[in-house]
Amino acid sequence: MDTTHFPWLTISILFPVLASFLIPVIPDKDGRTVRWYALIIGLIDFVILVYAFYTGYDFNNSNLQLVESYTWLPQLDLKWSVAADGLSMPLILLTGFITTLAILAAWPVTLKPKLFYFLMLAMYGGQIAVFAVQDMLLFFLVWELELIPVYLLLSIWGGYKRLYAATKFILYTAIGSLFILVAALAMAFYGDNVSFDMHTLAAKNYTLSFQLLVYGGLFIAYAVKLPIIPLHTWLPDAHGEATAPVHMLLAGILLKMGGYALVRMNVGMLPDAHVYFAPILVMLGVVNIIYAALTSFAQRNLKRKIAYSSISHMGFVLIGLGSFTDLGLSGSVLQMVSHGLIGASLFFLVGATYDRTHTLILEEMGGIGRSMPKIFAMFTACSLASMALPGMSGFVAELMVFVGFAISDTYTLTFKIIVITLAAIGVVLTPIYLLSMLREIFYGSENQHLTSHEALVDAEPREVFIIACLLIPIIGIGFYPKLLTKVYDSTTIAITQILDNSLNKLTLPQSYRAIMISEATVHSPSLVFIRAPEIPGLIKGIH
Amino acid sequence: MEAIYQYAWLVPVFPLVGSLILGLGLISFDKTAANFRKGSAILVISLLGVSMVLSIILLWTQIQGHSSFLQVIEWAKAGDFRLTMGYTIDHLSALMLVIVTTVALLVMIYTDGYMAHDPGYVRFYAYLSLFSSSMLGLVISPNLVQIYIFWELVGMCSYLLVGFWYDRKAAADACQKAFVTNRVGDFGLLLGILGLYWSTGSFDFTVIGDRLSNLLESGAIGTGLAVLMGILVFLGPMAKSAQFPLHVWLPDAMEGPTPISALIHAATMVAAGVFLIARMFPVFEHLPAVTNVIAWTGAFTAFLGASIAITQNDIKKGLAYSTISQLGYMTMAMGVGAYGAGLFHLMTHAYFKAMLFLGSGSVIHGMEGVVGHDPVLAQDMRLMGGLRKYMPITATTFLIGTLAICGIPPFAGFWSKDEILGSAFAAQPALWLVCWLTAGITAFYMFRMYFTTFEGDFRGNDQSLRQFLKREAIHGFSISVGPGAMHADELSLNPGDDHAHGHHGHPHESPITMTLPLLILAFPSVLIGLVGTPFANYFTEFIHPPVATGSLHLGVTHGEEFNWNEFLIMGGSSVGIALIGISLAFLMYLSHRIDPGAIANRFPALYGFSRNKWYLDDINDRLFIQGSRRLARAALETDSKVVDGVVNFTGLITLVTGEALKYFENGRAQFYALIVFGAVLGLVVLSGVSG
Repeated sequence: MDTTHFPWLTISILFPVLASFLIPVIPDKDGRTVRWYALIIGLIDFVILVYAFYTGYDFNNSNLQLVESYTWLPQLDLKWSVAADGLSMPLILLTGFITTLAILAAWPVTLKPKLFYFLMLAMYGGQIAVFAVQDMLLFFLVWELELIPVYLLLSIWGGYKRLYAATKFILYTAIGSLFILVAALAMAFYGDNVSFDMHTLAAKNYTLSFQLLVYGGLFIAYAVKLPIIPLHTWLPDAHGEATAPVHMLLAGILLKMGGYALVRMNVGMLPDAHVYFAPILVMLGVVNIIYAALTSFAQRNLKRKIAYSSISHMGFVLIGLGSFTDLGLSGSVLQMVSHGLIGASLFFLVGATYDRTHTLILEEMGGIGRSMPKIFAMFTACSLASMALPGMSGFVAELMVFVGFAISDTYTLTFKIIVITLAAIGVVLTPIYLLSMLREIFYGSENQHLTSHEALVDAEPREVFIIACLLIPIIGIGFYPKLLTKVYDSTTIAITQILDNSLNKLTLPQSYRAIMISEATVHSPSLVFIRAPEIPGLIKGIH
Repeated sequence: MEAIYQYAWLVPVFPLVGSLILGLGLISFDKTAANFRKGSAILVISLLGVSMVLSIILLWTQIQGHSSFLQVIEWAKAGDFRLTMGYTIDHLSALMLVIVTTVALLVMIYTDGYMAHDPGYVRFYAYLSLFSSSMLGLVISPNLVQIYIFWELVGMCSYLLVGFWYDRKAAADACQKAFVTNRVGDFGLLLGILGLYWSTGSFDFTVIGDRLSNLLESGAIGTGLAVLMGILVFLGPMAKSAQFPLHVWLPDAMEGPTPISALIHAATMVAAGVFLIARMFPVFEHLPAVTNVIAWTGAFTAFLGASIAITQNDIKKGLAYSTISQLGYMTMAMGVGAYGAGLFHLMTHAYFKAMLFLGSGSVIHGMEGVVGHDPVLAQDMRLMGGLRKYMPITATTFLIGTLAICGIPPFAGFWSKDEILGSAFAAQPALWLVCWLTAGITAFYMFRMYFTTFEGDFRGNDQSLRQFLKREAIHGFSISVGPGAMHADELSLNPGDDHAHGHHGHPHESPITMTLPLLILAFPSVLIGLVGTPFANYFTEFIHPPVATGSLHLGVTHGEEFNWNEFLIMGGSSVGIALIGISLAFLMYLSHRIDPGAIANRFPALYGFSRNKWYLDDINDRLFIQGSRRLARAALETDSKVVDGVVNFTGLITLVTGEALKYFENGRAQFYALIVFGAVLGLVVLSGVSG
């Protein structure tokens, strides 16, 4: 027990889980009470998180904060240890935010509401735990536990092929997570002292081949979750069948677990191996961007289209991770948060549209803009956010990844030009599929078949509220990115520092010469000039 | 005066506030807000009016010699990377501020009349205001990234406004085409910006220019690489300012309401490309290969646009190609280093082209009273004729605009075009020749337009002609989209719409809100050229490039003695060819001494080439649209058959052989999860005990 302060993080994890156990005893026939109950619990937990970070978190500190550690199995050095740093804190807040909104988005759920909200609350705690725990074994446990509510939410409330999708999801992720267990055990028993504590593990001196092996294992697990092509095929199925609230959680939070774990473990704990894997990450990122964008363009099913667009956007996370610059890494984290918000908003709107049209096939839609102008407007705004329009968070994230990769001194010029050009093609492809989608849903002369439908009403205030809640941070970050980047800036700098050390230490094999420069000898020409920082608010005349 | 500079950032903020108020109102209380028409219009117009006054004061102080002003704040930071945002007020931005606010204000007043019966009246004002805000933000941007940000935002506004009538299929296609084509340009611009940052470590124009010249001198980066970056940056202006081959979106963008065509697609946004080239001048001046590409692209585009404009029958399409052509002039001027001349033409063109477009809107408005709300009929010049009788104000102002664009002295266009031609001649006579010929074609197609629209007899009540045009539209439509296009019923030949609006028999003059902006715009169209006459070129003196240039000509008028001989030869030749063009148009379309149809029949290939816009849209469709569709389908096939196929196959083998499949189908996965959990827990306990 080395906790000197109130255990806010533990509380925020356990509170929704414990609260969920009360749901079965709530007297409620039609599910109206229970949804209010869940929403209030969600809100309280979010407030707890905000308060905890507001009072106990220092932005300029790159170390773990709000640390709580309770010994569980002393023989194994297994501890219940949770903490937050710049990497996990924005994601924890995102979790609280999106999950609360997802509960509000689930308002119309009428099938087994008690079970539904029970699972939602259980997930709430579980997801925070994934981002907060600081023990490898514990991480594996919460990662696995997280699967159960998702599986059930998919298989009970999903579409026609829900069982196929849910089974595929759980097989994929469960097999992937076995690698986490193996890697955790291997790392724990390496060397003299047995420990699962991430800090201790990161400090161990692994041999390079060991690092590469463990990195590879963990990489497969997280590649499934992120997802990275070709391990992505569970996602279109799962997303294609999920209901809107589950969808929001999948896109908003679950995908980020993969990205978070990649940064936390692969990059932070195995930096030597990362030097070898980084070009592969970058290349996979490019494949993600282009391949998924093309697939999305050809998709005729609305949910699957957006699902593929998620995959495409995750490519930027990978490129940023492989950039070896604080700017690129910062862009990766920003892209995760930003996509969490944008993806959630798009999936919610897809759900809202489906509730009205009862079809997801684009051919059967069209010409419904006039009868639902608000949904049209919100859909347009969120699609524009998704195609990285400036003034919205996605643009800043992508720009930071682009610039970060461009100024990276680790790669050869040829490799950088190829990667950036291909990634920028993705920037052209994104509006093609998103604008085509908008055109096929809303534009064109009125669709008599659909508009005669009595359910085709415009957005209700609840829906406008949810989208407004998501758009405010999207636009806020887009207008002033320092709002978010300053939260984790010190952490990403610290991680880049670790990577720089590894880079300088290692001599790369011959085969890497074409894409990477091992010694820091060749710099981009810009380093000739002193990068004098401009002083904020400086007034000066030119000419 | 310093205080006004401290608050100059309010110029783009005022219209932003206006659009936010209207936008939030529409989202929150749609019916009520949509009915609050006059109030919304007055709010937006007065907010922009304040911006205009501020801009004029800023320009005035700049003319008085106030030094440039720059204010920035730190916007993004990661490690030692810092990105600042802010605003800069110098000669160029002050001038652009005034151009944008004045044209935007007049267009907003005009909109009240033009959109009076449209249910989307308030939404239109919200978009207009948002666009003005973005455009004003663009012109005061102090660095490349901020320019890129607003660059995309004006593109978004253009998307929203072109697709304003979203239930028209043509508008839906056009807005997407506009956005995607511009993204192709932005792709280049982004890569160029990244390259320049990689090599110079800055986003600031002058800093990039200085450092780039250092690097080139010291050989730290190759010329080829620097040229590549310059051309990539130029891709941005190429799309935004509709230069070949990325011009294809602009004519289609005419599907948007006419005030938009005037403001965005003639006066302001499309000029942003030229503006960016002007801003990038300190960089481009070190790269003569790039300026050559710019100059030739501009000259070629000028010719291309003019050659297509001569056969267009849709009055707005004709003007759109004319805009492309005029933008080509400006781009070419920038390419040959005639900084002042290019911007001068930008300014004069903004006023007279805005007036021409608003005039065409007034014509369409008048025609709609006769033929109904059908763009196929209301915009076709073959149904017009003799409108001078019914719409005298529109006709007079249109004539002034036509004279201005043809380059007849002393109208505005003459002075700016003459300066460009002079600079082109000084730089490369071949460029001058292309532009000189184009000037003749310009005079021809503009007077063709004027004569067929306003002179002769009114043809709007010719029912057989209407049927013919309808049939032609559908015919052309089915060729480009193919059979089985959605909602073929909307194209039915039944002219039911006509009767709904009743026959007036003849068109009527537009209301005062529409004619007033036309009358006001007539003044700059006549007079504003006088600030840049070769005898006393105040304009070029004011708008000199930010750094003294060495390698390039700065245009004939800059710092040189005025030479009457030279002026008379250059001016005389351009007026001469314009007069030839006008005479031809007169003979063909007014006195009918020459039959244009016969000429078209004589050279069917050439006529078809121009009529079909050099077949560029067809090439574009076959190559890029169909190509990307095929590629996307191939990717999807691979994904579902190959990648997912492997997964499902593996899954099948492992599952079918056991009882697992049946088990999972029962949906009792809780049990599975319990097993996983139990196993893990057991593992932990086991290792705990044994350890």
